[in-house]
Amino acid sequence: MLTPAIIGQILVNGASLSAIYVLIALGFTLLFGIMRVVNFAHGAFAMLGGYALYYLYGSLGLPYVLAVPAAAGIVAAAGLALEVLVFRWFYNRLMPGMIGSLGVNLALVFSAVLIWDVYERSIPPAFVDIVRLGGVLLPLDRLVVTGIAAFVLLLFWLLMTRTRQGLAMRAAAQDVEIAEAQGIDTIRIYRLAFFIAVFMAALAGGLYAQTYSLSPFMGERPLLVAFIVVILGGMGSIPGAALGGIILGFVESILSTLYGAATSSFVSFGAVILLLVLRPWGLLGTPDTMRA
Amino acid sequence: MDAAQPFAAARGVVLPRNWATAAGITAALALAVGWPLLIGNPFFITLGTTIALELIGATSLHLLLRMGHISLAHAAFMGIGGYTAVLLRMRMDVPFPFDLIAGALAPALLALVIGPVILRLSGKYFALVTFMSGEIVRLSLTQWSSLTGGANGIFGVPPLVPGLTSGLQFYYLAVLISAVCIALVARLLTGEIGRVMASIRESERLAACSGIPVVRVKVTVFAIASAMVGMQGVLHAHHLHYIDPSAFTSVQSLNFLVMNIIGGADHLIGAVAGAVFLVILPELLRDYQGLQQILFGIILVIVMAGLPGGLVQLIGLGWRAALDLRRRFAA
Repeated sequence: MLTPAIIGQILVNGASLSAIYVLIALGFTLLFGIMRVVNFAHGAFAMLGGYALYYLYGSLGLPYVLAVPAAAGIVAAAGLALEVLVFRWFYNRLMPGMIGSLGVNLALVFSAVLIWDVYERSIPPAFVDIVRLGGVLLPLDRLVVTGIAAFVLLLFWLLMTRTRQGLAMRAAAQDVEIAEAQGIDTIRIYRLAFFIAVFMAALAGGLYAQTYSLSPFMGERPLLVAFIVVILGGMGSIPGAALGGIILGFVESILSTLYGAATSSFVSFGAVILLLVLRPWGLLGTPDTMRA
Repeated sequence: MDAAQPFAAARGVVLPRNWATAAGITAALALAVGWPLLIGNPFFITLGTTIALELIGATSLHLLLRMGHISLAHAAFMGIGGYTAVLLRMRMDVPFPFDLIAGALAPALLALVIGPVILRLSGKYFALVTFMSGEIVRLSLTQWSSLTGGANGIFGVPPLVPGLTSGLQFYYLAVLISAVCIALVARLLTGEIGRVMASIRESERLAACSGIPVVRVKVTVFAIASAMVGMQGVLHAHHLHYIDPSAFTSVQSLNFLVMNIIGGADHLIGAVAGAVFLVILPELLRDYQGLQQILFGIILVIVMAGLPGGLVQLIGLGWRAALDLRRRFAA
């Protein structure tokens, strides 16, 4: 039953799922790591990214390479308005922040229902070709999704490790007060981190909506995924989010192709619970020494 | 700042003294009993029943929160209770008090089994592990369709007490059970075990060093809270004459948590106020169709930004103002 065609499908699906999952989870873990915000509105930003791509690419017909980053950029810019209005009141306040972002999520999702109605739409596929690679058939659109995500992740990695801004962000994540004492403008850094997080969520949402379907409630799944990936990798750990996303994407692709979606969910939830009991700080996180 | 002490902001809220609390309880009970007499409209009786039911979940979760544990599986325990009772009644003809008791015991038993393992985790890790456990329960309820009817649920759930068919009678039954649960929670919190729970929340290690059997206390409280919310599940199924997995998802668990935090997670009054507020608010916004959920979300944001200690802060502020006024008057 494991023919080369199926293996190829599993690999390509796994790679594109992983790419989307990593994008979503990185933003989620960035917000938690730097501002201590558990962002329940993360899925809603992904959903908005889907609608932005729907209009820019589906309706206006912008070239795909332009439409994808532009859609994410528009949502991220709008997200900055929410940062100023709402999110900055909740930085470093875990519980109020959770409820506050839940409220934002409700407001965004049901505004989307009001504007776009509940029915599912589809974003026209950008590529319909199939690449033949040594007897394995690979759908081109999945490869493109993987490529786009990999490119953005590379940019993100360069930003975090090779620039002063990235250094400042990592410093703020470690200790806000010390970072401020070193002359880092944390308000600006928070804003930058928020922009990047929303940008990646919206980008992932656009790609996700194009692969599956677009509706106001499509954000629930990405939010759940962000949760699982971040637990897998360790709360607030950036390499952990990348590793967790890749593991979850491939495991889900393998199990759901071979045994169905329900089994795949059972196994991944079960594995995460086991991990939480045995190693609560995740695969690449560090044990929380402040824990009472 | 850390998840282990999520509610530090609310500590220090000044609340009324004993006589005022007693007056408040009397007024609340009088309102609960007199409610259907004041407004006989069936809609308001259903609303009252819903409030009574949600109060069970909110106050039993409050018990866990006061111990420093944020459970996001509370609705899953509610579902286990509900399904146990409904299946026993409809498939095996188990008569009235025993199906309700089984509906409370089943989630308590599960809590006793998984409690010793997951209650070793604290803070955000406990929240995450319960979130995942809740998802597993939801998946099981949806997938095991030969037993649970899958996503369609089970229709035609008979009245809880045979012969007790009117909405008014069910309302009083719900109020009775709810009041007993809240009283038990209040008794636990004000008694010695309440202080033990507070010591566990503040510092588990210190509590253990003082000779408190930390894990045993935690598991016991977890089982009690699960039994209570299981009863809510039973009542919920009989109230709607219907049970399906969608009522027991993480959304409902979050709802219980939101009730506590909106009300003020540091006081039992907060949990009560939050539950009442969260059931009534959507009804008040019913006129703004389409905008209902949006306004609801915005109100959540505003309350949390302005009153980090929850709605009880209003009582506290009012009380302090009254004290100030009296002092100035006396001077």
